[in-house]
Parts: sequence; C-alpha cells; structure tokens
Amino acid sequence: MDSVTYELLLNGRSQSVTVEEDTPLLWVLRDILALTGTKFGCGVGLCGACTVHLDGTPMRSCVLPVSAVAGRAITTIEGLAQEGDHPLQSAWVAEGVPQCGYCQSGQIMTAAALLADKGQPSDRDIDEAMSGVICRCGTYGRIRRAIRRAAVDAWEPESDPDAEPAS
Amino acid sequence: MLSRRAFIRNVSVAGSGLVLGFGLGASGDAGAEDLTPNAFLRITPDGEILLQVHKAEMGQGTLTGIVTIVAEELEVDPGTISWAFAPPATAFRDPEMRMQITGGSSSVRASYTMLRETGAAARHMLLAAASQRSGVASERLACRDGRVASADGSVDYSYAELASAAAKLRVPDSPALKSPADFSRIGHFDSRLDSPQKVNGGARYGIDATPEGVQVAVVVRPPVAQGEMTGYSADAAKAMPGVSAVVAIDSGVAVVASNYWRARKAAEKVELQWRASESALLDSKAIDAALAEALADGDFHEVRDDGDTPRAEVGRALEAEYSVPFLAHAAMEPLNCTVVPGDGSAEIWVGTQAPDLAAQFAARALGVDEDAITLHNQFLGGGFGRRLFPDNVFEAAQIARAINGPVKLVWSREDDTRHDYYRPPAKSRLRAQLDGARVASWDHRIASPSVLQSAIGGIAPDMAPAWVPDALIEFGASVIGNYDFLSVEGAKGLPYGFDHVRVSYSNVETPVRLGVWRSVGHSFTAFAVESFIDELAHAAGEDPLEFRRRHLPADGRHRQVLDAVAGLANWGNPPAGHFQGLAVHESFETVVAEVVEISMQGGLPKLENVYCAVHCGTVVNPDIVRAQMESGIVFGLTAALKGRIDFVDGAVQQGNFHDYQALRMNESPEITVAIVASDAPPTGVGEPGTPPAAPALGNAIFAATGKRLRELPFEPG
Repeated sequence: MDSVTYELLLNGRSQSVTVEEDTPLLWVLRDILALTGTKFGCGVGLCGACTVHLDGTPMRSCVLPVSAVAGRAITTIEGLAQEGDHPLQSAWVAEGVPQCGYCQSGQIMTAAALLADKGQPSDRDIDEAMSGVICRCGTYGRIRRAIRRAAVDAWEPESDPDAEPAS
Repeated sequence: MLSRRAFIRNVSVAGSGLVLGFGLGASGDAGAEDLTPNAFLRITPDGEILLQVHKAEMGQGTLTGIVTIVAEELEVDPGTISWAFAPPATAFRDPEMRMQITGGSSSVRASYTMLRETGAAARHMLLAAASQRSGVASERLACRDGRVASADGSVDYSYAELASAAAKLRVPDSPALKSPADFSRIGHFDSRLDSPQKVNGGARYGIDATPEGVQVAVVVRPPVAQGEMTGYSADAAKAMPGVSAVVAIDSGVAVVASNYWRARKAAEKVELQWRASESALLDSKAIDAALAEALADGDFHEVRDDGDTPRAEVGRALEAEYSVPFLAHAAMEPLNCTVVPGDGSAEIWVGTQAPDLAAQFAARALGVDEDAITLHNQFLGGGFGRRLFPDNVFEAAQIARAINGPVKLVWSREDDTRHDYYRPPAKSRLRAQLDGARVASWDHRIASPSVLQSAIGGIAPDMAPAWVPDALIEFGASVIGNYDFLSVEGAKGLPYGFDHVRVSYSNVETPVRLGVWRSVGHSFTAFAVESFIDELAHAAGEDPLEFRRRHLPADGRHRQVLDAVAGLANWGNPPAGHFQGLAVHESFETVVAEVVEISMQGGLPKLENVYCAVHCGTVVNPDIVRAQMESGIVFGLTAALKGRIDFVDGAVQQGNFHDYQALRMNESPEITVAIVASDAPPTGVGEPGTPPAAPALGNAIFAATGKRLRELPFEPG
C-alpha cells in the first residue's frame, strides 16, 4: 500500500502527514506527530482510551483510518482547552478522579462531547455516554460527580435516579 | 533484616554519591552547596526542594503520600516539592523485601518513619544553620512554610538562604519528629499531586517515551504457554512498508518498523513454527480436575492447627467447596518498554513496579553491566502486580541489541491478555461443626498452584542465575520448601475465635506463569472464608453481622469496621427491593468491611450500593484512602462478575475487552467509604478493598435468591 499525504485540521492547526491510508488516526497522533495524550488501550474500539473529537463527535481513533478524517476538525486532549482549564478538567481535579490516569484522556473527551450536546445531562445520560470507556482503577463514581460538577453548580437531575434502574 | 533505623543510616552514607551519580532530571547533579540529608532529599541554594520518589505510581497515590510525609516534617506545602521517580539504587530498596519493589500495599507502611526522619533531618539542619548565622538559640526558632524564623520576626531566613550552610552540618542520626497533634498535612492534605497532568494528556507513561530515532517493535509469540519457537519465515513481513528489521528473540519474532501500525500489519505476515509443551497441566479443565483431586486426597501441609480437636460427632457438620479461575491483570496501558542502547550502556524508559529487577533483566539481555543501565521509571497505566515482572524489559532489550538502535516495544491488548503472569485458580474445601450456635471446629483446605514457586522458579534459574539477589533466592527457597504463604494468606489468619481451627495447603504444580494479582492469596481465601462464614451464620439462624461480631475480639479492628459499616449501610434495613451481603477481611495489616447492596433485575443482580469501612491506622491522605477502597471494590466486583481466563491446550481463549470484560460505569455501584479514626502506625490501602467484595456480593445474592454461589465468576440465574 502506498503512502498518501493528508492535510489534517488538528487542534485548530493545519498539519500534513504522509502515511498509508488505512493507518488509524491514533498512530498518526502518537507515533508520527508525538501527541501522546491520546492513549492506546485495546486497538479495536472496545475501551475508549483513544477517544478524540471529530467535528465535535467522540470517536475511537484506534479504528478511525486517517483517510476518513482529512479536512475534518480533530480535537485531542491536548487541544480541549488552551490552558488545560476546561470545566471538566477542573472538575476532574476537584473530585480527585484520576488514579493511574491512563484512561482519563478518553473519559474527559467523551464527557466533553456529552456536555456540549446536553448541558445538563441526567444520570442516565451520563451512564449511556460514559459506559463505553473502561477504567480499571474504578473511578466511575468520581467521574459521575465530576461531570455533574462541571455541568452546573446547582445540579438538578431530570429524573429521580432511584425511580427506575438505568439499564 | 535491616531495622528501619539502620536503613536511614545506610541511606545517609550512600546519599551524596547516589545523588551525584544519578542527578535529578533537569536540575542536574547535587553540588557541595546543596543540602542532602540522604539520597531522597535535596534542597538547593536556589530554593528548590527535590525528592526522589522510591515507589512506583500506578494509581494508588503513593507519590502524593510520600511527598506529603516529607513535607510535613520539612514544614513546607507538598505542592512546593519537586519530585522525580527514583532510579534503581540500593538506597531505594524496600527494607523488608530487600528489592526496590512497589507491592504488598507496603509503601507508606514501610517507609513512613524513614520519610518522616528524612524531612525532620533537613528541618533540624536548617534550624541549626539559622541558629549559627543569627546567634539565636535554635529552640527559639521554628520552621514554617519554607522559612526559619523567630517568633518576634528578628530572624527570618528562607530555606534557600540556609541550604549551603546547612549542607556543611552533620546529618542527625535520629532527628526528633513532630507530634502528630501538630500535623497539618498528614491526615489533612486531601488532593493528588499528579492530577493536573493526568487531565491534560501531559502525564508521561512508559508507552509515551519517544527518544530520537526510535523505531517501534511488536513481537509474535507462540500462542501457547511454554510453547517453544522452532522456526519462522518473515520474507513477506520484511517487504511491508516501513519495516526495518525482523529479528528472533527468546520469546518469539520481533518486527521493527517506523510506527506501531506498520509493525503490527507486518507482524500479521510472519509465519511462526512452534512446539507445544508436553505438560498436560496447561489446560484449565485438567488443572481444575487436578485441584479437585488434590482437595479429595492431596498431600496437605498444615499451616495452622490450634484449639482442641472436637469429638468427631459433636453438633452439625457443614461442608462446602469454593472455586476461583485464572485471572489476568488487564491494566489499561498494555505492556511496553523503550530501550536506547549506547556503547556498553543503555537508557530505558518503562513503567515498572521493580526498577532494579528491570535494570538487571535489561543488563543481561544487552550484555552490559547493570551499573551502565540508566532506567527512567514512568507513570504506570495500572499495575495490579503485573508490572513486577520485567519480561517486557527483557524482550525490548534483546530487540535493541539485535538491531543496535533505539526501539520501543509495544504489546497489543491480546498480547497483554494472553501472556500474563496469571492469578492462579484455587479451590477451598471448608468443613465446620456447629454445636448450636457455637463453632466447634473449622477446617479449611486450599489447593492451588503456588504463585511463589512460579515467580521465583520462573525468574531465578531460567532468566539469570548470576544476578538475582541472593536474598531473593534464599528467601524463596526457604519458603517454597515449606509452604507458600501467599496461597494461604487470609485463611491462616482467620480472626474468628472458634474452638478448633485447622488450615492446610496443597500445591498443585502447573507450568503456566503465575503472578501476584491485586491482594494475591487474599483474592481467593477471603471469598471462601467470608462466604462460608455467611453459610454458618444462616445455618445457626443468626444475623450474619451478629454471628461475626460474637466470634471476634471485643476491642479489635474487625469489630470496629463491622460496626462502622453496619451504621453506614443501615444494615438489616435495606431499601425495598434491595438485598445486602456483608464481608470483613484483613489484608496487608488493614481491615476492611463491606456491605454490597443489590437489586435483582430480570433474574440478575444489579449492583446498587457498596458501603465500606476501613481501618488503616494513621491516614496520610483521606481522599486517596477512600479512592483506593473504591478502586479495590470495583476491581473485586469485576472479577466476581466477569473475570475468567481459560486455557485450552495451553492457549488462552480470551484476548480483548469483549471476552475479558471489565465493569463499566452503567454497571458500577455508588460507593460510600468510612475511615475508622486511629493514631496507630499507617497500614496499606492499595489492595485491601478488593478481598471482601466478592464474598459480600455472593452473600447479597444469597440474601436475594436463597442460592449459594460458590464459584467465581458468579453465574446467577
């Protein structure tokens, strides 16, 4: 397979790379552009550690070929906020979320897309959006709290979380 | 064994040389003007306070704990201390394990006093230097927030101003420590020092190392445990884009390319020939049968036998058998290691729980002196015991030697799942005689492959007879010859005051590589013991909480955590439709009680709440203690509901997160943790949250369904 040159719109800047067209975005970011904040966990879209935004939508970069992302806006954890001060990043620190921290780029990028979509997500919204991202340190409870904290100070769930079980 | 006092002395003697030898990152080597009470701490005339962190940070929070303890005695804010992960060095070895190991939930417990003395030694030296300079008696001076000052303000120096004068003073042998009543950081500092860089992608893990000109390698290995490569063909792989080398190493064939994707695609073209091991005990079913046979008529080594043997026919006899499978660690960061070979030397980037062992493996693979290895320990993307074994380092070093260039080895998730050092399967047979509500006898037999034998047998003779520390071999030999304490921990120390207690162990050997998995033997002994206790309570017609309390010492830690968790969970009065299960277990000197509360949804248990009470002595960082309980609980519940590795003819059947699953957010419970206040010495928190989770869940399932599940993972319904 021949290499092709692609123009990427990455974290607001234009960037050109020359790689085989099936190369997943993850390895373009990590091995070619040395943007290592996006993590490799499973390689098949099962764990969410590699989540980035493509035109604002959370995507698994480990199964996203570079040929599919050229010319579209790509945002990685490094580009989420200028000073690393996105409300979710502050909330993550305040709630003491990270342990080993390896999955947290994927957690935060997934949560950021959720908040952009629904300013005040319900507990069920949070579960649905976040359950694709595995944390082996078991920080899920703190992630829930951090998302609520970042959403609004006076958090009011849309429904009583105990009224019916989330499935 | 070194006493802790002897340890700090040795550290002091070795100190300046080590700091000179290794330096501390960008700050360079220690100079004569720097205050260096030992190898751990350095205060420069520029006012920098630098700490070498001798333990691996894998999520458990030890980095923050270690810095906080020194900061307390040094009278500075923990956030003002710069830190670096310590290189392999004698000074940084664990005083009990005699290797530079992070494990056994021991970091804060074993280093607490030494770290306080380190900070206190520097504080006393700074006070003395201020006294010399000002002529004011040191008793009239005090350290506070990085300054030495008198109460009236007439003397006021920064640590920076005093560092070079203090550096010329003698390091005190046993500096007076602060009174715990005066602590303002230990027990109070409640955040994590590594959080900011772990939310912006900046934290550096082993897999993020990118030295100049580095190539990426993947390894194709025989797909079976103990398989032996007999040949390979790689012409097709070599023709793939970007591939720079294909080389044979001990464990398989390494494909080296300019990036991971190219290496992985080329690796698919490698054809490997291999020979299977002839052992029959590389198959889960065969091992299971061997364990069952051992339980029935194995050769048992008695590890505890106390109290009076009851008359044979007293009371009612109960018997049950509990069983657990192989487990993999599944840390989120797949194993990796980066090696840059030099001229008779090498530089290594890796996240490891055992830097000295890693450096020794690398030196052997590269054919260089261990002293010529510079190892940069990185953040670990999860450890759980897996990163004690440096097989990844050995592989990477062999590849670097073969290509004579910088290389980063990266395992796939499938590699990680299929070439682990596994938590062994184990079976327990428990027998008890219940005389009314009195337990007249308790007899616990455990059959399990010995982790200790596998770890020591695998590492010592095969890998490197020359360099393995004598202490490790002696230690291993003495224990293996007798019994594997790791396989009976948590059973031998049964806390209940029964009339007669017997515990025995039978080692069932398998060539499968075994390792330590978060809480090690406790991960299966607690399941058997605390489930069977629940069975006895129900058989005696007594509330499981009261049954436990009645058999435990009145003023002991077990009762304290039971009472605390009962209050927290409103034990006995769950919300409508919820069912509770209880377990209490001591591991790594910490006692944890948990109540798991479930509902039943379509015949399956749904985790609603977990309540936890922990007694871990003095608490350094309350929020990290809570976080570690949460973490250990989710880890234990994941194993209880989903964890299972199966070997078929030597090949692991699971490979990725679809068939070796982890609990996800929508499945995880709300967790509430209470810490029992104590001023006893600190004990570990990284592992003790895990053991009670499985039995508490099983006991809750029994409460909900009346079905006693005795095999992990649970398959209710």
